[in-house]
Amino acid sequence: MARSVWKGPFVDSYVLKKAEAARDAGRHDVIKIWSRRSTILPQFVGLTFGVYNGRKHIPVNVTEDMIGQKFGEYSPTRTYYGHAADKKAKRK
Amino acid sequence: MARIAGVNLPTSKRVPIALTYITGIGTTSAEAICEAVSIDVTRRVNELADTEILAIREHIDANYAVEGDLRRETQMNIKRLMDLGCYRGLRHRRNLPVRGQRTHTNARTRKGPARAIAGKKK
Repeated sequence: MARSVWKGPFVDSYVLKKAEAARDAGRHDVIKIWSRRSTILPQFVGLTFGVYNGRKHIPVNVTEDMIGQKFGEYSPTRTYYGHAADKKAKRK
Repeated sequence: MARIAGVNLPTSKRVPIALTYITGIGTTSAEAICEAVSIDVTRRVNELADTEILAIREHIDANYAVEGDLRRETQMNIKRLMDLGCYRGLRHRRNLPVRGQRTHTNARTRKGPARAIAGKKK
C-alpha cells in the first residue's frame, strides 16, 4: 500500500543536512549515506550520493527520473555470478 | 466489416465484447464507450450503421491509448527503468520477476520453460 500523502515523503534528516551542506559548498565529492530507505527529493538532482549496500558505498548520480524512488533501489545488495552447473554446460 | 484502430472486429458479437478485441480496451472501458456514444450493449457489430462505427472510432481516438501506441508506451516505460539502473530495471534486464516474487521455485512466466540441470539426480 502506498504511503499517505499528508505525511509527505520520508527522508532521514541527516541526508537532508548533508545534501544541503554539499549544495552550499563545492558539491563535487560523493555524499556517503547509509539511509537506503530515504526518498529521492527534487532538490537532490545533480548531486552524487554514495549509497551503502552493506559492503561499500555505490556512487549514484541523481537525475530527474529518479525523483520519488528510494536510494536503495540504485544500490544492489546481492552479488550473483550464476550457478556452477550453468557455466559447465556452456563450456561444452 | 468494421475496422477500428486497425483491428477487425468480429461481426457477430455484441458491441462491448467485440471492442475488447482491441488492445487497451477491456470490458469496463468497452461498456463506457458504448454508453458515451449511446449504443445499446445488446446490439451486435453487424447491426451497426457506418455513422455509429465512425462515432466509436472517433471516441476511441480522442480518449484512449490503444494498440501500437499503447504497446510503445509500455515499452518506453520499461526501457526507462532499464536505463536508470534501478532495481526494477535490473530485474527487467535479467527477465526475472520485478515485484518481489519468489524465484526459488515458480516464476516460470518470466523465466520461460524449465531448463534441465546437468548432474542433478534423485
